[in-house]
Amino acid sequence: MDDRILTAVAAVVGVPIVLAGYLILSERLLGALSAPVQQRLRPYVWVVPAVSFATVFMVLPTLNTVVLSFMDRKSEAFVGFDNYVFFFTNPDTLGALKNSLLWLVFFTGFVVIGGLLIAVIFDRIRYESLAKTAVFLPLPISAVAASIIWKFMFEYQPPGTVQTGTLNASIGTLGFDPIPWLINSTTNNPALIFVGIWTATGFAMVIISASLKAISGELLEAARMDGANELQLLLLITTPLLYPTLTVVATTMVITALKVFDIPYVLTSGAYDTDVIARQLFSQIADAGHYGRASAVGVVMLIAIIPLLVLNIRRFRAQEEIR
Amino acid sequence: MSRSSNGRRSRVAALGVATLVLAACASSSPSASQGPLASGQIGGALTIWTAWGGGELAAFQKVLEPFKATTGIDVSLTTVRDIAQLAINVEAGTKLPDIASPPTADKREDWAKDGVMKALEDFIDIDAYTSATYPALVTCPEATCVDIGIVDGKHYQLYVKTQVKGLQWYNAKVFTDEPPTTYDEMLAITPPSGASLFCMGLESGSDSGWPASDMVGNIIMRQSGAQVFTDWYQGKHKWNSPEIKAAYELFGQMADKAYGGTNTALSTAFQRGHKPLFSDPPGCLFYEQATFVTAFFLEDYPDLKAVDDYNFFVDPGIDPANDGNVMGFADSFVMYNDTPQARAFMNFMTTKEAQEIFVGAGGTLAARADVTNFPDPVFQTAADVAANAKNLLPTPGDQMPSDMKKAYWKSLLDFVNDQSKLDSLLTHLDEVQAASYPQ
Amino acid sequence: MTELAGGKAVLAPARPRPAFLRPLERTLRRLPLHLTVWVVMAIWLIPTLGLIVNSFRSVADMGNAGWWTSLFPPAGLTLESYEQVLNTEGVANGFLNSLLITVPATVIQVTIASMAAYAFAWMRFPGRDFFFIVIVGLLVVPIQMTLVPVLRVFAATGLAGTFLAVWLAHTGYGLPFQVYLLRNAMGGLPREVFESAEIDGANHVSKFWQIAVPMSVPAIASLVIFVFLGVWNDLLVALTYMGSSPNRPLTVVVTQLVTSFGGGWQFLTAAAVLQMSLPLVVFLALQRYFVRGITSGSVKG
Repeated sequence: MDDRILTAVAAVVGVPIVLAGYLILSERLLGALSAPVQQRLRPYVWVVPAVSFATVFMVLPTLNTVVLSFMDRKSEAFVGFDNYVFFFTNPDTLGALKNSLLWLVFFTGFVVIGGLLIAVIFDRIRYESLAKTAVFLPLPISAVAASIIWKFMFEYQPPGTVQTGTLNASIGTLGFDPIPWLINSTTNNPALIFVGIWTATGFAMVIISASLKAISGELLEAARMDGANELQLLLLITTPLLYPTLTVVATTMVITALKVFDIPYVLTSGAYDTDVIARQLFSQIADAGHYGRASAVGVVMLIAIIPLLVLNIRRFRAQEEIR
Repeated sequence: MSRSSNGRRSRVAALGVATLVLAACASSSPSASQGPLASGQIGGALTIWTAWGGGELAAFQKVLEPFKATTGIDVSLTTVRDIAQLAINVEAGTKLPDIASPPTADKREDWAKDGVMKALEDFIDIDAYTSATYPALVTCPEATCVDIGIVDGKHYQLYVKTQVKGLQWYNAKVFTDEPPTTYDEMLAITPPSGASLFCMGLESGSDSGWPASDMVGNIIMRQSGAQVFTDWYQGKHKWNSPEIKAAYELFGQMADKAYGGTNTALSTAFQRGHKPLFSDPPGCLFYEQATFVTAFFLEDYPDLKAVDDYNFFVDPGIDPANDGNVMGFADSFVMYNDTPQARAFMNFMTTKEAQEIFVGAGGTLAARADVTNFPDPVFQTAADVAANAKNLLPTPGDQMPSDMKKAYWKSLLDFVNDQSKLDSLLTHLDEVQAASYPQ
Repeated sequence: MTELAGGKAVLAPARPRPAFLRPLERTLRRLPLHLTVWVVMAIWLIPTLGLIVNSFRSVADMGNAGWWTSLFPPAGLTLESYEQVLNTEGVANGFLNSLLITVPATVIQVTIASMAAYAFAWMRFPGRDFFFIVIVGLLVVPIQMTLVPVLRVFAATGLAGTFLAVWLAHTGYGLPFQVYLLRNAMGGLPREVFESAEIDGANHVSKFWQIAVPMSVPAIASLVIFVFLGVWNDLLVALTYMGSSPNRPLTVVVTQLVTSFGGGWQFLTAAAVLQMSLPLVVFLALQRYFVRGITSGSVKG
């Protein structure tokens, strides 16, 4: 055990020192060369560590996964599109795809709308930062801990007995029978998506709130004086002005929705038709040991995300123009 | 600005150091406390993976104490729930633990032949082992040898404790009649007013559904016989066949009589499924589970006494031709790295002393037939059942490839949720069967 | 004058009101607002409170009645869950592992990212834009795409299950976001400061160390917290690369308890509370930086 701590300390202390040494040493070496050559080479020296990591851990594996998706279970033989056919015909994977689409639409939608509404409402009270902290609290905790929190909220006991789950106890006082939230097919996906919304809305709220505060108060006052009510203000002025921010939040949330794993994994293990594609991928590796199919799922995820990639790059380019 | 950020920085640093110190103190460090070795000790390290948690793990740790004391070996025990993780490591070529559970049946032959698993013959007295252990665990007719870890006549799985499954537990103060002799009789029993016939607890995290898989397995072996049962879990008998379908349907009748309805059965964790059995007034009459469940009884109702308060009868018969089929489950260890420490461990586990500690901790039978220090008479009865069984058949799920097993368990959950889907569930299982068993 | 799209330009009628009613009116009018706020806060606070309270109850109590019953006497609060959890099941070990994974991973990532960010911001070189676009593009790639190949590489090099593997993996996965964020932050620094330093003869190393880094401390601080929390809370990377290693962090330990046969409730509650305690403390103490980190990365530009 002491070895572990030693390695960790070595890493914490050593890496910055090594990097500093790397920079200083490269400066020395570059110093021996002519100025224009220096200027040409130096950036690469600085950038090489980051780019290498990104290449080794993201670029190459992604390409490799694409190749693997055309091979069999143990990546020994080429099987063409079989894994993709499996993905689009197998009821389990199709179910997961359907659910991921549900997440995409509802998770993103409610997080953005919820974040906006909460930011707007909290903007008007004096104890705003206390309230924001409350909504923001789920963010630093892991999705695993959040899932466990909600496991207790969703608990079910037979009708007529004492309810131990907060939700069922609450509806019990209103006279309703308890609901098996995570099993019942009408409620289970919404329940999981709600847990996701619960964890992510704080994030959206904070970003939107920052932009909201940048909107000129005078503008809003003038509109009020012209007789606009609050709803009109929100819909016709605030939202359009926040459009860039809302887009950023929405793109981030779409990516999160596609990648969601922890919540279904912990709460239902994907059972009762709550599976999502990221968990399917994991299941193909861990349960079925089928690396070809797992890779095919990954490629499908990537393709789904490409439009966002293009969007991201376009936005980056636009920002660059300004800069 | 810089002053406040300096203050912040040092506060953060203090927080960091405090946490590290706290964490370091909190974790116990066996290696740090290992002193110099006494004579006769081997020392060194041993890595063991086990799927056990809770009470079973605590019992195993008790078993390890004398072992560690006499050999001075530093045992590192890791709980690994999913045996598929081991398979990933083997295929990826990463370091394996020294000792762990056996893989699913489809991998045993390959792993034995490739030398991934080490043959017991190489380091234990195999004759002593096989004569002391329950015969069903160490001898086999041709077709089922792999099921108990015997490949090409060599043993690879060292059995250390066993369970009997398919027992109907009841509250002895509530059910005082003669046990039923057939399933039909059992299903016809009228429970006391307000109670259901069965309690069920099928939830178990990502392993949810496994209790139901045992119930269906017990039905199959009684309804259709040992051969069908064996062919079925070996992937040679189709799921969408009259035999399997009939078994699901009979199980469906049981689920219909479950306490709190199917929602409760699906939401209740198997460790807590027994609670209505002993509640006042009782919520149900029977609870089908294995021998280990008594440990959970005592967690919730510490004052229960065997025989007086709780007892069991074995699942009744269906077709008299198949009487004598009993489902058992045995925990075994496999050696993956041949080291002196691993050999010492395996030898230790064959001893009466080691297995007596397991049995004494409650909730289990040993693998050695001569271990009888059961904490209560109920276990002696269970041991007799195991000894007198015509065929002690293994838990079917464990003998299936990992994805088949998971699909099977999942199908049971979906079936309990909606019995009308049976045909499509069985067809899907046939597809999985075709894809998952090695050709 | 503001023009409203599709606008009605109706003047709000001014009605005379008695003066003493005005504050009361204002409160009443604002009541729905305050109610809404409190309902929202309740939705966000009560679930977490439920878990924390449950972690101080016995298993028997948890099975018999909801957590709110322990808010009133007899509360039956106990530390037994924590005792059990810290003494068994590798939870204390997991906590230590989490720390040993998170701190070095954070340090490694942030140092490498700062170097690269500075170069992207303040050095000109062919391919600069190309590389940066690739990095921005990588922001969206799901980690799942890389799991299988990287796992095999780790296996082949004998790294699977080690801390080094997870440090490297987190670095690889996290760098795109960090380079992006820091590049924005450093790029926003005033050019004049660098130019005057150049005139004084500073080279890039000293400009980096003495100007760029100190001036970017807020951004770097927020990034550190962000990364720290991200790695501490990570499940997938640790589960895949060290799922069964004794070095696995607390998230994996807790999850395996949840998904296991013998997962007693005491483990779920106490272990989960332990797992969230550190991030919550870090977050509450350093909220400002955390928020700044999120907003600066997304709103700038």
